[in-house]
Amino acid sequence: MSPELEKCPRSLLVCEKSNFLNEKSRHDIHVSKHNFNYKISVLIPDCEALPANISSAFHSFSSYYLVRELPVYQLLEETFIESHVKKGNFYALSYNTKIDEENTIALLSSGQLILSLDKDTYEQLGLEGRPSLYNHKKAMRFVVTLDLTDKSLTPGTKRYQRVLSSLKDRLPLRYDFLLTKYNTGSDEDQTLIKLLSQYSYEEHKPAFSHHTLKNIPCPTLYPSDIQGKTLSCDPHHFLEWLGAVNLDISCENAADSFLSTYVCPEPQSSVSQALLCTVTGFISPENVFVLLQELRQYIDEPKFTPWISLTVHGFMDSPVSWGATEHGFLKGGENLYNFVCFKNQDYWLHMATGAQDGCPP
Amino acid sequence: MEEPSKFERYVYKNASVYHYMKISLVLENGNQNITDAQFKQLIICGLRDLYGEVGASFPFDLLKFDQNELTGILRVYNSGLVKLWSALTLLGSYQNEACAFRVTQVSPFLLALSGNSRELRFGDQLIS
Repeated sequence: MSPELEKCPRSLLVCEKSNFLNEKSRHDIHVSKHNFNYKISVLIPDCEALPANISSAFHSFSSYYLVRELPVYQLLEETFIESHVKKGNFYALSYNTKIDEENTIALLSSGQLILSLDKDTYEQLGLEGRPSLYNHKKAMRFVVTLDLTDKSLTPGTKRYQRVLSSLKDRLPLRYDFLLTKYNTGSDEDQTLIKLLSQYSYEEHKPAFSHHTLKNIPCPTLYPSDIQGKTLSCDPHHFLEWLGAVNLDISCENAADSFLSTYVCPEPQSSVSQALLCTVTGFISPENVFVLLQELRQYIDEPKFTPWISLTVHGFMDSPVSWGATEHGFLKGGENLYNFVCFKNQDYWLHMATGAQDGCPP
Repeated sequence: MEEPSKFERYVYKNASVYHYMKISLVLENGNQNITDAQFKQLIICGLRDLYGEVGASFPFDLLKFDQNELTGILRVYNSGLVKLWSALTLLGSYQNEACAFRVTQVSPFLLALSGNSRELRFGDQLIS
């Protein structure tokens, strides 16, 4: 049998172990750099009811907006840049655009506007960019990065006029966008709504749900053994088990079963109940950080819960994963990370990416 | 209480032994009553037809099956991913009725299958 048939796309898993109280801990940077978050799920073993502080953290997540047919040049308008982009905490991503097939536009909190374009669009638009890192033999995808906070793109400069006229006149690109801004003051929301009211838009709150799982096998984890060599289970097996819990997959199969031989990884213990919460939408990293702080506070209090897991899934069609690292969709577009918080404020951080992704920071 | 641990970082490349696939079966004449065992047997037959007894002799797991929607989650060793996927693509009939497998998502991480942003839909959205 040809060895070509046994190849599969590459994947990366980065596992970091540290302590939240360690001043060099980079957990805040990892969270803040992951700009676009689709789904967050929290698993708390040995917990029956949703704790009040965690519930309020979930319900405090900012709303996001879906704007239909927003012209891309609108993101360069002077008032928009002054009132939203320069202040930071503003995120925009084109909705329902597949990055392996179509053009995708993203605006990061740092003020960078990223346009991931197919060859025709790139050539027609005429803006300076570079070929995608994940082109195969011919360059079919190009990435244009515009730093809207840079001096050369200040409204009024020649370069700004050129970029604006390309997007407005030469090739007016319009897409549905998801927009969100981390809530810092209600008056800023009003200016955003005034801008959006020229187009068809809807406001959405991230969809929250939770339920309690009964009598599930649960892997034993010791903070000191992240590699799973002695006391804990292997990180891949742990993430697989987390996936099984999220997808409601049975972990109790016989080794000779016809259908499935999947079992919970060793070492394991049985847990009488566990709480699983999920929230989906267009979620900003600041909200994730607030939730992480609440989870840290929860596990600090004396309880049976040995650890808490927080999983954050990125958007498959985002042109970036962490920071401005280019992201693509080969056979999948996964870019997710998972925190495991322990009692002594130790934590594990697993960051997983697929084939067309740079190594997580 | 253990002492706070020092920083450690490990990077694993291609260390995931399995790939996971979320698939659905579409039948020409609407849904029939297919059990999980029949679903798995159908895939095994497809593999045998394409690769023969020896070529198809690798295990895969049907981790989950939804009888109403005819969707399932498969787990396969990396070396069997291409063969399994190609067999699903070329499988055309079930009990003399035309059918097709749709592969919704593939990932080396089962956890990634629970968060597919392409499923984000809003009330009046047409399914594209």
